[in-house]
Amino acid sequence: MDDRLRETLSAMMDDEADELAVRRLLSFSDQDEVRGQWQRWQQIHDLMHGTGAAADLVSPAADVSAGVWQRLDGGVPASEHNAAKAAGRQRWHWPAVAMIAMALVVGFGAGSGWQSAGELELVTAQTTAEPNATATAASVSEVSLQGLDDRQRQQIHRYLLEHAQHNSVGAGRGSVGYARLVSVDTGGY
Amino acid sequence: MNGQAGTVWLRFLLALAVMVLWMPAAAQATEAQPQTANSAEAVKWLQRLGPAMNMTSYRGVFVYGRGQQVHSMQVAHRYNGSMVEERLVIQDGGSGEIVRRGMEVVCVLPAQDTVTLDAIVPSGPLADSFSDQLLPATRWYQAQMLGEGRVAGYAVVKIALNANDPYRYSYRLWLEKDTGLLVKSQTRNADDQILEHFQFTSLDITDDIADSELQIATADKNQTSTISLEPGSSATELVTRLQGWSLDWLPAGFEPAATPRSDKRQVIAFSDGLAAFSVFVEDLASLDMPTGASRIGATTVYLRPVQSDGRQVLISVVGEVPPVTARKVAESVRFNSAAVDSANVDSATASLVEHQDASR
Repeated sequence: MDDRLRETLSAMMDDEADELAVRRLLSFSDQDEVRGQWQRWQQIHDLMHGTGAAADLVSPAADVSAGVWQRLDGGVPASEHNAAKAAGRQRWHWPAVAMIAMALVVGFGAGSGWQSAGELELVTAQTTAEPNATATAASVSEVSLQGLDDRQRQQIHRYLLEHAQHNSVGAGRGSVGYARLVSVDTGGY
Repeated sequence: MNGQAGTVWLRFLLALAVMVLWMPAAAQATEAQPQTANSAEAVKWLQRLGPAMNMTSYRGVFVYGRGQQVHSMQVAHRYNGSMVEERLVIQDGGSGEIVRRGMEVVCVLPAQDTVTLDAIVPSGPLADSFSDQLLPATRWYQAQMLGEGRVAGYAVVKIALNANDPYRYSYRLWLEKDTGLLVKSQTRNADDQILEHFQFTSLDITDDIADSELQIATADKNQTSTISLEPGSSATELVTRLQGWSLDWLPAGFEPAATPRSDKRQVIAFSDGLAAFSVFVEDLASLDMPTGASRIGATTVYLRPVQSDGRQVLISVVGEVPPVTARKVAESVRFNSAAVDSANVDSATASLVEHQDASR
């Protein structure tokens, strides 16, 4: 991996990479090396931000690089596109969704610490939304919120908000309770 | 002469045997001693935590993170001997603040339209709720001192609360040494991964908090919503609100915690003192939902759509519990077949209470 690719990776961490550079990075022959580098930086990033929580959200085996390619080829979702236009930026803004998907590709971190654009963008491992027929008693099938439609996500958002309210001011949890409430209210998880 | 020497020798052997037999026992005793003393000390710190949360005056900035999200909030908290006043200001994202004066809370949040704070009913008087909750909690968690350190410039003690069963998460708490104030906390799963964290990055514990620091800055009264923290309906009233369904299983130690004033939806919240989850049961004919769990940091959302009497009903369990707990609770919801009348409500109440007792 040369310095240019390393620079791209670094830029992606800061949410500043341009499309061409990301394509180049994804085409780099030794994806293991890319993954390793990302992982090391992510660990430093996590240390600095005191996080590291997100690692369990993604399966290390999850391969969604195809998803990133698709996003690159299919363009950004309309709302983000408009937002970027409105902001009048010269630079092509790397969409948050694709950023998170990229983190999934490299199988680490899922972009912990990044603030996503607003709507619900929960990242879970790419799994089936249907109950797993072969599931054992101990396993719980996962639902990816990204795979749900707007109405379904709104419903879940309502539940999250209401639950946070039950446990915020009333339950005597002090600042943690408030923080959970605000966390749901501002969305973007 | 010879016999006397033999007796002495025998006594020596006996003494040696006693010593050899006794020593491992003594060693075990001294090993066990610090363990229980350690645990007792941890519990003593937890007892201080509740009062400290309310009766310490301080200002600072803390960060809160779960999943991919990190927030920071500025807080000022003052206790004047009889009343708690506090103000929290969101430092990133949309602007917003929460101001509390005694039992009255005013919220100005970015997505105000989606927040219905009148749905909050406290589980008890605020002043002692945390300490009241934490003490029974030591039954479901193993408390342990993990040493000392420094957070936001203050000397702290670090306490572990490890779950005794797989149905709840474990916690690490950092308490300021002089006041017992919670300055940092982590929620961890069984693999010791941190799912949620809270930490002061700057802190000033001082009685010198000005009135201006506690006043709401938002001028527009239309944007604010005020709620009262006076205890409303009690937990027993809450249980009778269950209409047409009951829970066959609850993880040990979880008890009804808060009641939302929603007539349309059926909601009940449970807490074991540290963790909490809410169970929603709602008729949702027009909305198809998948079955399964989603996680945001330490928060699990478990969805389970079912058919009951030809109706499409969605059971949702939302809370800071592992997915396996949320699933077990969701799958334990049982519908009473007949239409809801008072007799049914009574039986629903009875079965809930019964199962709670059985789960202990």
